[in-house]
Order: sequence, then structure tokens, then C-alpha cells
Amino acid sequence: MSDQPPVFKDTIAARATPSGKGGIGVIRVSGDRVPIICRAITGSLPKPRFASYTSFLDADGSVIDKGLAIYFVEPASFTGEPVLELQGHGGPVVMAMLLDRCVQLGARIAAPGEFTERAFLNNKIDLSQAEAIADLIDSASSAAAKSAVRSMQGEFSGLVRALTEKLTSLRIYVEAAIDFPEEEIDFLADEKVEGMLDSILAEFDKVTRKATQGALLREGVSLVLAGRPNAGKSSLMNVLTGKDLSIVTEIAGTTRDVIDDYIHLDGLPLRLIDTAGLRTPGDVIEREGVRRAQNEIKNADRVLLIVDCFSTKGEIKHKVGELLGEVSSEIPVTVVLNKIDLNPDWQQELEDIPDNWIPVSAKTGEGIDQLREHLKQALGYVVVEEGTFLARARHLDALARARESVETGRQRLIIEKAGELLAEELKLSQQALGEITGIVTSDDLLGRIFSSFCIGK
Amino acid sequence: MVSATKFDVIVIGGGHAGTEAALAAARSGASTLLVTQNIETLGQMSCNPAIGGIGKSHLVKEIDALGGVMALAADYAGIHFRVLNRRKGPAVRATRAQADRQLYRAYIRRTLENQPNLKIFQQSVDDLIVQDERVTGVVTDMGLRFAATSIVLTVGTFLGGIIHVGMDKRQGGRAGDAASNRLADRLRELPFSVGRLKTGTPPRIDGNTVDFSFLEEQPGDEPRPVMSYLSSNKDHPRQVSCFITHTNENTHDLIRAGLDRSPLYTGKIDGVGPRYCPSIEDKIVRFDDKSSHQIFIEPEGLDTVEIYPNGISTSLPFDVQQQFVRSIKGFEVAHITRPGYAIEYDFFEPRDLKNSLETRHLSGLYFAGQINGTTGYEEAAAQGLIAGINAARAARGDDAWCPRRNEAYMGVLVDDLITMGTTEPYRMFTSRAEYRLILRQDNADRRLTEQGRKLGLVDEVRWRRYCEKRDAISSHAQILNETYVHPGDTAIEAVLGQEISREYSLIELLKRPKVTVDSLIQAARLPFVNKEVNEQIEIDCKYEGYISRQQEEIDRIAAQQEMRIPDVIEYRSIRGLSNEVCEKLETVRPGTIGQAGRISGVTPVAVSLLLIYLKKQDFSAVGKKQGRSRSLKSA
Repeated sequence: MSDQPPVFKDTIAARATPSGKGGIGVIRVSGDRVPIICRAITGSLPKPRFASYTSFLDADGSVIDKGLAIYFVEPASFTGEPVLELQGHGGPVVMAMLLDRCVQLGARIAAPGEFTERAFLNNKIDLSQAEAIADLIDSASSAAAKSAVRSMQGEFSGLVRALTEKLTSLRIYVEAAIDFPEEEIDFLADEKVEGMLDSILAEFDKVTRKATQGALLREGVSLVLAGRPNAGKSSLMNVLTGKDLSIVTEIAGTTRDVIDDYIHLDGLPLRLIDTAGLRTPGDVIEREGVRRAQNEIKNADRVLLIVDCFSTKGEIKHKVGELLGEVSSEIPVTVVLNKIDLNPDWQQELEDIPDNWIPVSAKTGEGIDQLREHLKQALGYVVVEEGTFLARARHLDALARARESVETGRQRLIIEKAGELLAEELKLSQQALGEITGIVTSDDLLGRIFSSFCIGK
Repeated sequence: MVSATKFDVIVIGGGHAGTEAALAAARSGASTLLVTQNIETLGQMSCNPAIGGIGKSHLVKEIDALGGVMALAADYAGIHFRVLNRRKGPAVRATRAQADRQLYRAYIRRTLENQPNLKIFQQSVDDLIVQDERVTGVVTDMGLRFAATSIVLTVGTFLGGIIHVGMDKRQGGRAGDAASNRLADRLRELPFSVGRLKTGTPPRIDGNTVDFSFLEEQPGDEPRPVMSYLSSNKDHPRQVSCFITHTNENTHDLIRAGLDRSPLYTGKIDGVGPRYCPSIEDKIVRFDDKSSHQIFIEPEGLDTVEIYPNGISTSLPFDVQQQFVRSIKGFEVAHITRPGYAIEYDFFEPRDLKNSLETRHLSGLYFAGQINGTTGYEEAAAQGLIAGINAARAARGDDAWCPRRNEAYMGVLVDDLITMGTTEPYRMFTSRAEYRLILRQDNADRRLTEQGRKLGLVDEVRWRRYCEKRDAISSHAQILNETYVHPGDTAIEAVLGQEISREYSLIELLKRPKVTVDSLIQAARLPFVNKEVNEQIEIDCKYEGYISRQQEEIDRIAAQQEMRIPDVIEYRSIRGLSNEVCEKLETVRPGTIGQAGRISGVTPVAVSLLLIYLKKQDFSAVGKKQGRSRSLKSA
């Protein structure tokens, strides 16, 4: 057995450190493509087993991050295959970009327990550990399934399922047209297929938008602090993060991560985004960061609209109305009426205010408990765990590949009239979606064809 | 009485599976005996007189690439040829031939009679001689005994066959032929699991009573395709047309009125029929909203006026058949020459087979064709060839051979059958092949002929033809790759429909959509005249990206796919495998990890657990043998 080549041929990559844990993040890559990936990202192939400090480069040569790269040659590595470890700053955006880069370079995102499995199958781990590894794979996969379910709460998995169903319906037509060309259902010659393709592509865009930016897939619920300058955003931020609420993770480390602070509100992970924190874009990495931040804001779970009750004295309700007009009506808003300590008449002025208007004083702390209670109630519906990071990266990667296949298939059909290539692309697309839902259908397309069309002579 | 000669291989049955099995065994050098109930019906087409079609011509060309007879017979007997899916791309293109039944039978019989190492004998086989879970011979109805090392059973629908026409039923293997009941009873005593399937045929009609003048004529295609890599269309006999007509509301009403005497709808038939080839009564009941169904009128032959109305297979009573046939345009005064009928027959659970098509229960016994739950001449012939070659190899003590899923539709067919089993007559479709872009009818020779040569199936003539083609493809492709054209080359620019701004190799230009190899060759004035060779270069080029992606996938999983699972494995002792997965694995008993992964319900995690278990067993085995564990050695 030891003479056999490694059982696996492809290259896998994953974040090796749990997300949201301190300032260092490790991406581990294993497989035959490691030397290529290493050269592309670090610019060279470092001496095996020595840590070298280097820049991690993106496709266009810009620097994603700087850190340590360690290259292991086979079989003297954890998995018995060529392995690369990239140790960077660990911010979610940087990690995501590095992982994206590895995928671009031919790796795929590892399945749960896959590194250990390879290590075992390549004789790197002792026999006595075999049972433990079987258990690990078993539990890692169920944990991943759990986190995948969590990361895809309700709507997302529903959307992906709906998308898969649409894709399947189209495949039924395409495959029927191929396998039963004489049945008067030559759908490929028809323009209807183009319409269906376009509608599927639009659906993909919708789902991708939601998955990338929306409240569906993320580590923590995002809260955006908005308001006029001097409304007290910073002091509110301080009081939320520094005083009564404990800071669990600080992901300040790098300039590219726009997320200012992670806080836990009685176990509910929140990420506070201060709009004032946005900088004028500088290098490419910062532009990327700003772009992502803007997306986060547009699609935040909730906006905390901070209003200064002192300077708007006498016309608070009017000012709030004005500000609300500037925020998209689709995003839930909490109006934080700050600086009540400077406005002795606030109680009279703010009689009969809606439940989501919370008078506070960031300075004295008055009303902060109520704000906290209010946020817990308003946001408690989303609870996300660690471990969703990889699930999310896998899902986004799969979604992107699925969409690309449909797009390519469309080109094949329209430009080359190649129905069989459209069919191939649609199959690949459905496979990619299957990676998200975990449903590996044993292709019962034929069954569906027979029940949809009167086939046969 | 025992025959003095012991054969290497005995093939029981002279249909499409049996003939290919006998020929393959004999070609590869095994002394072979073909036993048939009736020498006159060797190579009989029991259903419609056509060979090929989508997914099916792929099989025919693979059989041909391995030296089989089906494609050559179809060219010899083909009286109407069409290319299906011509506009959808080469991977899904298919060829179909209407065959003259008599010519087809004559060609098959002549080939069998002239095949060295092959003897033919007319007798019905009643029993198998079994010793210690191994077959050693057969007993015929006259009590003659023949001994053999391997036996291939290709008895089609003859095992326990029951023919239904309306409420009337009788035993039979095919209209006009007896069923093999004693053999069926005998096999039922052996530990095989038996199921029932059903298939049917339409009534045949006297063409002189059909008015063709208002029917849509469908002539064959020009240029006329061929089935065999060795044929040219000069080998074809005179060509004739097919015609198309349709059922109408009146037809449907007449059929509905007869349903109370339909064996299908009154519970007389237990067997499951194919969903893709329903009877006309089935179509009308299940697709109530369709007011018309298409009927292909296929000629039965050049020397007969009989026609085969494909699309109205039925088991309704004869009076209903007559009424509804006469309600169809063109058939107003039609005379039915043979009634349509449904036939129920035994088939054996194909998951009890190895990929050599040898049964697990009785070594030396091979099954091929409808007995395994398939339908179609081509599916039967493909299995016959595989069973025949493996029966011969086993007799010589050689390892079994079966192409993989990425090598041939034959591989898909066998793997599907032994992995998933079937609940309806199994027919090939291109959508069953995950490597459809690689498994084309145009490259079956490139996929299989070299293997066929090593197996002793491919003769000198075919081998030389193949080598010439193979060499021409690579040398011409190289020339196209090294021939550069430059800006200002007006002939080339005319082909492209635009000017070129730098120099390009012809292969680079061929990759562009809509650019054909013929137009480039012409524009560059290259002397490449072999259409077949040019076509291969073009397809290789157009599909390159897809093929290399599929190839990467194949390579990636190859090592794992091929990892063998020992026959004695105890799935229940593998930690983490659910009961459900264990049951599935126990039913199928996959031979490799790859096959295990294709069983529906066996998850990737289960496959990982299986891999780890096998690895661990391997550790222990090596450990025992060497007195220390592998892990110590590697540490």
C-alpha cells in the first residue's frame, strides 16, 4: 500500500485557525498544486520547512497581506502531500481574499476533516488513531452541516433550493431535447430556452447578492451607526463596546477590515460598523475594504440612527423624520436619541414615541440598558456560530461557479448552437449548487423527463 | 449422453446478446458452442426493424470497435439511414438504420457459420449442470449433455415468457416461438432473485393496404452515414423511405373504450414496462391532454410489403386493435398481418452480477441481455460481447475485463446495472453517461480498438485501418498546429469573416466558434482529404476545454475509484456507517470504492469511512504478514 500513489489528486485549502480568534490567521493548502500556488502568492518557492516573511500577492500583484509562508515537501508534511501554510493577520476579509486567491489558483475548499483524512490515508498518522479519525470526520461533517444550516438560515437555503429546482426544470428540457430529438420537443431550437437562462441568471444574481452582502451568511449581526457629524456616534460606540458590553474580539489589526468591533451582547455576536470609519480609498486593498463596507451598510441587519437631542431641541421628531427619509425603508432602524442629559425637556418632547426610538445618554449611561434590551429583542433571531467562515467561503465559491457555468452554457448555445455543451454546463452548475445544499442527487432526470413528456414510440 | 468435446464456452441463445457473446469468445480463441432453439431465427429482430438511435448507436459503434458484428450487419441490411441530433453537436449525434430483417439475419448467420472456433447446435437447453456452486455444462431437451468451463445465458424474454393479447394469454418467448419454461423453473430453484418485466410490440400491417399518398415521407439522410468503421455506404442495399402518421381523438376514444379488456389496466400484467416506450393505451391514459401521437411507419424489408407502425405498441384485444388502427390516417383499410402483443418475462436482479457479467451465485455462469433487465438489441449485444470475452478469459484463467464509465457506454451500462439494478427495462440514453463529451459515436474506435486488439477481439484488417486513422489524426493535427497564417491571407480571412491582426496557427483559429476544419484546410490548401480524420481533429479542438476538465476529474478520482473492496468485507463492523448505508452496500456489494460511491444513498462521508476502514484492514494485513505494523515501518 505504501507504494501506491496518494489517493487524492486535487488540492485543498482551508483556514486552519478558527475565525474570530485573535490577530493571526492561517491558511493551509495541501496537494499537487501547492508549488504553483506558493509561487503565485509569495513570488517564490521558499526553502522547505523554513518560515519566511513575505508579501501575499493578489492576481494583479497587489499585496493582500504580509506574513509568514512555510512550504513543506511531500512526504514530510502533515498530510504527506506538498503543503503550504500562510500565516497572516487573520481578519475575515484578508482571510477570505487569500482563500479566494488559492481557489483561483486551482485549489478547492476542503471538506470537513479532509486534511486529517489525507494524513491518515497517506500513512502520516498511526493506526491507533484510525478510529478517532473516523469519528472526527463523522463529527466534523455533522458540525459543518450544522454550521452550514446555521449560516444558511431559512431564506438562503430556500433560495438555493429554488434555484436548483429551476435549473433542474431547464435541464429536463435540454436533456429531453437531446435524448428524444424526434418527440416534437426540440426546445433547443426554440428561443424560450434563452429566456429561461436569463431568468436563472437573474435569480443567481439575486441569491449571490443576498449571500454576499445580506444578513444571511455572516459571522455576527451587523449594526451600522449612522447619523450627522457630532450626533455622538463615537461616544455611543464607546459606551456600547467599552462599558457594559464586553469586547470579545477585536479585529482592528489591519487597515483593510472595515469591521470596527465585534461585541457579544449576552451571547449574541454583533459587529458594529461606524460609518465614520470609512476612509477615502487608497490602495487596491483599501478600495476593496471600502467596497465591502458599503455593501455591508446597504444591507445591514439594522441601522442605529443617532440623533442629537440637544441641537435639535424643539424639533426632534421633525429631524428624525428627515433622517429616516435618507435611510432605505427596507432596513430596520433603531432611532437612538442621544444626549438627553443636555435636553431637560426631552421627556415632554418625546412623548408617545414608537418602540424603536430609544432615548439615551452615552455620557451618563442613561437608557443604555434599554437600548441593549431593545437590540437583543430586535436582533435575537439570528445566532451564528464560529465555523461558518469556511462554510460561507465554500458556499460563495460554489455559487459563483454555478453561475459561471450557466453563463458559459448560455454563450455556448447562443453563439455555437452547442446544445450538448449547454447541457454539460448546466450539469456542472447543478453539481456546484449540490455542494451548498449537500444534496447529491442521483440524477433522476430521466424519471422526470418521462413524467413530463409523452416519450416513446 | 455426454458430448465428447468439452468447450471453453457455451452460449445459450442466438439473439443479439448470444451472437455477439459467441463471436467474441470464439474470436478471442476460445472453443465455443452456440446452442439455440432455432437456427433459422439467429439474429432475429423481435421488435422494430431498426438498429441504433440516440445512445444506442454509441453502443453499436463500441461493439464495432471491439470487432463485433452488429454494425457490419446493420450496414449490410440497412435500407434507410439517418443521423439524429445532427445540429446539436458531435457528442450527442447518433446514427439509426432501418434494417431489412431477412438481410440482417442472413448476415449474422453467415458470420456465425464462418467464425473459426465456433460451433452451432439447435436444441432447447433445459438444465444447467452444477457442481460445487460452479456450472460445468448444459442439458438439452433431448437429454444431451455438453460440458464447458464457462456458460453464457442469453435467453431474452424466453424465460417464463407470457404473451398477452387482450384478456387472452399464452406461454411463448416471442410471437411464434416457445418459451423456455423448464430452464426458467430450474433457474428459479437456484439462489437468484427473479423479477418480472413487460414489453410490447405494435400490430404489423400489410403495406399494400396503406394509403401513403397523404402521409409525410421521411427519406434517409444524404450524405448517408454508416454504422461500422469498416463500412462505406456502397455496402448498403437499395434505400427506401419511412413515413409518419398520427393518432387522433377518434383513435383515442376507441382505445379508451377498450381499456376494460386491456391486460395492463385490468391487472393481468404484473411486469413493469418501460416508461420511455409506453404502449399506446398507456400514452392515452397518462397524457390525457395530448390529442395526437406520432407514428413512424418503418419498412420491414425490401422483399416484403409488411410495415412496422412504431408508436402504437399495444396489448389490447385484437378487435380493438383493428378498430383503432383503421381510425388512423393512411390506415383506413389497413390489414393487420400480426397482432400487437405484450410479453411478460423473467429477469434476474443484475446487482447479483460482477462487472464481468458473471453471476455471484454460480461461478462460470454469465448473463447477458434482457435476462439482466435491459431492453434493446444494442444493449443486449453490448452485454453479450462483454460476457463472451469474459467467459473466454475465465476459461483461460485470465482476469475479467470491463471498460470503465469514462471509456465506453458499455461501461456505463454494466456499471449502472450492477450498481443500481433496474425496475423497468433498462435502455441506454446519453444522459446516463457523465462523460458524454468523451463517449462519442465518432471516437469509439479511438477509445476501444487498442484494448480490443489486446483482448484478441480485433482482426488484422480492422487493426490496420485503425492505426492508419490514428496516425493520420496525430500527424495532421500536428501540421495544423504548426501551420501559421499571416495578416493579409485573404483566403483565411474570408473563412473567418474578419481580418487577422497577427499570425495564428490553424489550430488556434479552429478553436473559434463556427470555424470548421474543412474550410481552414481548403483556405490553407492542405491536402487533407480524409473526412473522418478531419472531423476528429475538429471535435478534439472544439471540445478541448471540456475534455481536459473531464479528464482531470477522471485522473483525480482514478486511484480512489479503482481501490478494490474485498468480497468478504463486513460492512456492519465499520464504525460510523448507518444501517441504511450498510444495507445498500450489502445489496450491491460494490467491487471498488468508485462503485460504492455511485450507489444512491451512499454519502461522501460513508465513502471516507469505507476508505479508512480498508486502509486499516490493509495495515493489519501487512502488519500480520511482516510481523509489524505499517505505521511503525513508515515512522
